[in-house]
Amino acid sequence: MITGRFSILIFLILLLLVPLTHPQALAEDQPQYGGSLDIGTVNVTLSPLSWDPVDWVWKSNHDTGMVREQLFAGDLDKSVRKGGPFSFIADAYLPSDAMRGELAKQWTWEDPLTLVIQLRHGVMFTDRPGVMKSRELVAADVVYTYETLRDSPKKIPTYFDHINDVVARDPHTVVFYFSEYNAEWAYRFGYGYYSGIFPREMADVDAKRWRTVTGTGPFVLERYIQANAQTYAKNDAYWDKEQIGEKSYPIPFVDRLSYRIIKDEATYLTALRTGQIDILEAIRWIAVDHLKETTPELKWNRWLATGGNFMALRVDRAPFGDIRVRRALNLAVNQQEIVELFYGGHAELMAYPQHPGFGEYFQPLEEMPDSVKELFSFNPDKARQLLAEAGYADGFEIEVQVCSCSPGNMDLIPLLESYLADVGVSIKIKPMEYASFLSAMTTRTHTPGYLMGSGHVNPTTSLRKSFVTAQTWNPSMYSDPVFDAKIRELHLTRDENVRIKMIRELTVEMLDKAPYIWLPTPYVYTAWWPWVKNYGGELRAGAVRPGPIYARIWIDQALKKELGFDD
Amino acid sequence: MQAFVIRRLLALIPTLLFTSIIVFASIHMIPGDVIDLMLAQNDISTGQDRALIEAALGLDQPIHIQYFNWVWNAMQGDLGRSLWQNVPVTEQLAATLPITFELGLLALIVALTVAIPIGIYSAIRQDTTGDYISRSFSLLMLAIPSFWLGTLVMVFPSVWWRWAPPLEFVPFFEDPVKNLAHMLIPAILLGLSMSAVTMRMTRTMMLEVLRQDYIRTARAKGLGEHIVILRHALRNGLIPVITLIGLQAPLLIGGAVILEQIFVVPGMGLLLLEAVFQRDYPVVTGVFLVVGMAILVINLIVDLTYGFLDPKVRH
Amino acid sequence: MSALSSTTSAVNLDSTIMTPPDYHPVIALARRMIRTKRLGAAGGAIFILFLFCGVFADLLAPYGMNETNMLVRLQAPSLTHIMGTDHLGRDVFSRVLIGAQLSMIVGFVTASLATVISIVLGVISGYAGGRTDMLIQRFVDAWMTFPDLVLLIVVISIVGPGVPQIIIILGLLYGIAGSRIVRGSVMTVRENMYTHAAQSMGASTLHILWYHILPNILPVVIVLFTTRVGAVILAEAGLSFLGLGVPPPAPTWGSMLSGTGRTYMYLGPWLALAPGVCLTMVVYAINVFGDALRDLLDPRMRGSR
Repeated sequence: MITGRFSILIFLILLLLVPLTHPQALAEDQPQYGGSLDIGTVNVTLSPLSWDPVDWVWKSNHDTGMVREQLFAGDLDKSVRKGGPFSFIADAYLPSDAMRGELAKQWTWEDPLTLVIQLRHGVMFTDRPGVMKSRELVAADVVYTYETLRDSPKKIPTYFDHINDVVARDPHTVVFYFSEYNAEWAYRFGYGYYSGIFPREMADVDAKRWRTVTGTGPFVLERYIQANAQTYAKNDAYWDKEQIGEKSYPIPFVDRLSYRIIKDEATYLTALRTGQIDILEAIRWIAVDHLKETTPELKWNRWLATGGNFMALRVDRAPFGDIRVRRALNLAVNQQEIVELFYGGHAELMAYPQHPGFGEYFQPLEEMPDSVKELFSFNPDKARQLLAEAGYADGFEIEVQVCSCSPGNMDLIPLLESYLADVGVSIKIKPMEYASFLSAMTTRTHTPGYLMGSGHVNPTTSLRKSFVTAQTWNPSMYSDPVFDAKIRELHLTRDENVRIKMIRELTVEMLDKAPYIWLPTPYVYTAWWPWVKNYGGELRAGAVRPGPIYARIWIDQALKKELGFDD
Repeated sequence: MQAFVIRRLLALIPTLLFTSIIVFASIHMIPGDVIDLMLAQNDISTGQDRALIEAALGLDQPIHIQYFNWVWNAMQGDLGRSLWQNVPVTEQLAATLPITFELGLLALIVALTVAIPIGIYSAIRQDTTGDYISRSFSLLMLAIPSFWLGTLVMVFPSVWWRWAPPLEFVPFFEDPVKNLAHMLIPAILLGLSMSAVTMRMTRTMMLEVLRQDYIRTARAKGLGEHIVILRHALRNGLIPVITLIGLQAPLLIGGAVILEQIFVVPGMGLLLLEAVFQRDYPVVTGVFLVVGMAILVINLIVDLTYGFLDPKVRH
Repeated sequence: MSALSSTTSAVNLDSTIMTPPDYHPVIALARRMIRTKRLGAAGGAIFILFLFCGVFADLLAPYGMNETNMLVRLQAPSLTHIMGTDHLGRDVFSRVLIGAQLSMIVGFVTASLATVISIVLGVISGYAGGRTDMLIQRFVDAWMTFPDLVLLIVVISIVGPGVPQIIIILGLLYGIAGSRIVRGSVMTVRENMYTHAAQSMGASTLHILWYHILPNILPVVIVLFTTRVGAVILAEAGLSFLGLGVPPPAPTWGSMLSGTGRTYMYLGPWLALAPGVCLTMVVYAINVFGDALRDLLDPRMRGSR
């Protein structure tokens, strides 16, 4: 009896002690406001390219996605960290059930070609001197955004061809009239690269520069110093909330968000190590072990790169018009050795053009036909034989352009050179800086070999942009009317299961035709300090749009002090 | 003196003309012009209407018309707008020029503090161990590539003591201490790498002065060695060192590019580098114009000062 | 005091070299350098050592410069690979040797080109004077307002990276900048008495240039040439850092240091050590050697870019 009472007493004392001995455990449940969040993003080396959405630059969402909101966004409550199925790593793909309405409260298909979107009430544009006073977002803003993008001379042709008209039915209802179905409709104007909603007042703004970036999002752009940092301040009047445990909290948590622009790898690794940045999103495997050793406090996430690596072979030029030559080069390169030794095991043999993060759309190499598997094996004898059959018994010489902006490819290319030399193919390496390299491809003046990386984007886009006739990002100049027709059919197909089947078939077909030397896809690492809370290494909640993720992060300032860092 | 100043000013005109033509021509010869780059930003694109974009950017006119427009506008203080950032080029220059100037000034102070004592010392102790050691230090700083020294300074303190110079730029007038904390290390490295040239110049001048007649006379008169050096040799020897400030001006801007990149200093070098990579013509030409002008003006001031100090030079 | 008097006497010998008649002037110069300029002589020795390595690199290198062997990648220095191996299993020692060859080729050819340009421009400008001089000097002024590295970046993005491009651009760059120094010397020589005498005796311009001007500006030219070799090696390293150096797999010291040297500085510090030490040593050696030459040949030479 006494012991029983005694044990209850001890239990009570322990209960009292818990908050004292485990302040962190408690803090985990109770988010704190304030502090600043400094991030080296996946694009840590790149300054914003343009602040004007009319320029149609791919990076726009990345830099303004926390200011300008979109109709749809990734539903972060379904992230792996919160017990859901989605990792939010893919650069521009949201599976349909990973998507939620952001500015859209709900959406319905009134008929097969009419989409009605109800906008959220009470969403306010922030004050922006020189642009506008704060006011509510209405349907007319969405219509204005759409029309402005559609009428831009820099628009991607055919991008909005599936839409006939966009109309504001009432202040909170937008209607999209389609001319035909498009499987990518939610991506093209919804959560995609060119979908950020801006106010009608922009029509009167002469120069669309950083001071005029206006939106409804959790942050406002406060300062921009080119080639150093862009800083965002908290929008106190932001509408959205974050559910943590039982309670929901207004967001954002931090007062200040800063993207740091650092060109040099050694420098951004140092910035992470010294706590000058809280999160570094893309770290090469080479640096990981040493960082773990010197900075054991860091938390880590590993992800497979969201872009493929390959050497494109121009099929419109001899000798690569001959499929035997293209296959021979694939056989001559030892991809398995590249995975194991060049990447130290931190890579996947085949993860392009489809990404394992694309769910059912991705088909593992083991399930593919033998003729595809063969391309990823190492067989120099057969390579020589194929070359001989094609009339190149003595090999040949080609030029290969490579971007000096890609340290990984600059390291890799001497290895490729020595593999190819073994079968008599000698390559002349031509490194180029970013602009010249890119424009060589866009002006079709690139060399027969072209070592590059290209984003996966999403399952349909990955195939379309790379292999449809005359697309900008089709470096092998692949052209096949039958394939083009199939891609068009794919876009018109409503049934996702049918699309999955089609994409699997088309992917196998393209792998097999070997317009590229297929190369392994490396893993990349994200690291953050333990005081970064409510975060698990998610990268994008839309098309290269991390804004909503950062709005939900809070900083454990006590822990930061405890680890010896001042704010 | 007046005629000398006017002559020097007139000589600036052809120089500026040469500069602007070379810059304008070369930047337009680069493959990968800005429109291709803009088109390539998109994930897909088919047969874009290039002409429309070119017209919007004013790139559709013949190149000589573009050039004359640019010169005409430049004379009115309008250097155009950045093709990407939509900001007037003058505004970008106003933001980056003071940063580069500050870095250069700090580096110059470092360079002179290191170089002049070493130069003098190694002149009066020519070919002694002391001369060799002090001169070697200065030359080693020149011989180690700045990107390597920068990397070592960036990485090792962070590994050993978890310390690195702050990397976020804060404007000087907002917080001078934070600003200097950021700029100091790159300034020291830049200054050290520049010090070799100044050191060598100082040493050569000192050697020359030390064997002039009046120094011998001073010595013969039995003046103490220190007085001879300080009063006579130093004063006469250091005048030509002034010209070096002019000679090193391009180095301060060009040589800083690498250190600006490693230490994330948002100066003019980085602005220029980024603009070259993005083919942002108005920015590149604007930066070159301003840098060229600044260097010419610095050289002019140096020449005038020199001419003022030493009348022989005026001819 | 004693140190001072010895220095003055050493410098007093001015630009003509006093030599006993039975020695070749080069040998005499070498002897004097070893006697009075220990540091410079050591620099010269190091320089010659690297030159030797460069010339015989193909014979000395135990492996091919792009002989990859992924099974022995990133190995620390050992008996089989005395400077270790890189991330592709290539022998670092062999690559450093071939790198010496490349550096020497690039350095020497560029410095020669630069020197020729300097002489041509400097002699024309300095000897002709007047309007020609004015025009050339304004052009040189304009040229010298371009920051070196940035001009290199612009031009290399036009013509693409490669050894010949780097040689031509750096040659032009240093050549034009150096012409001012040559011009200065030519003007001094021209004012000298004996040239006037030659002119009055009716000698042709070519004759005067060849027999009177050139021999007298030779010391300046030699010093200019020497220091340029070092400057070129450094400039190539800077370009490599920006990704515009000599394309891989060519093993220039600059690209080894800025590329794999920096990337693998934790996993394989030896990758940076070998090319870094070589590069620094050669540039340092060339500079002390050049300074010593300058002291001996032409103490008046003004600071140069």
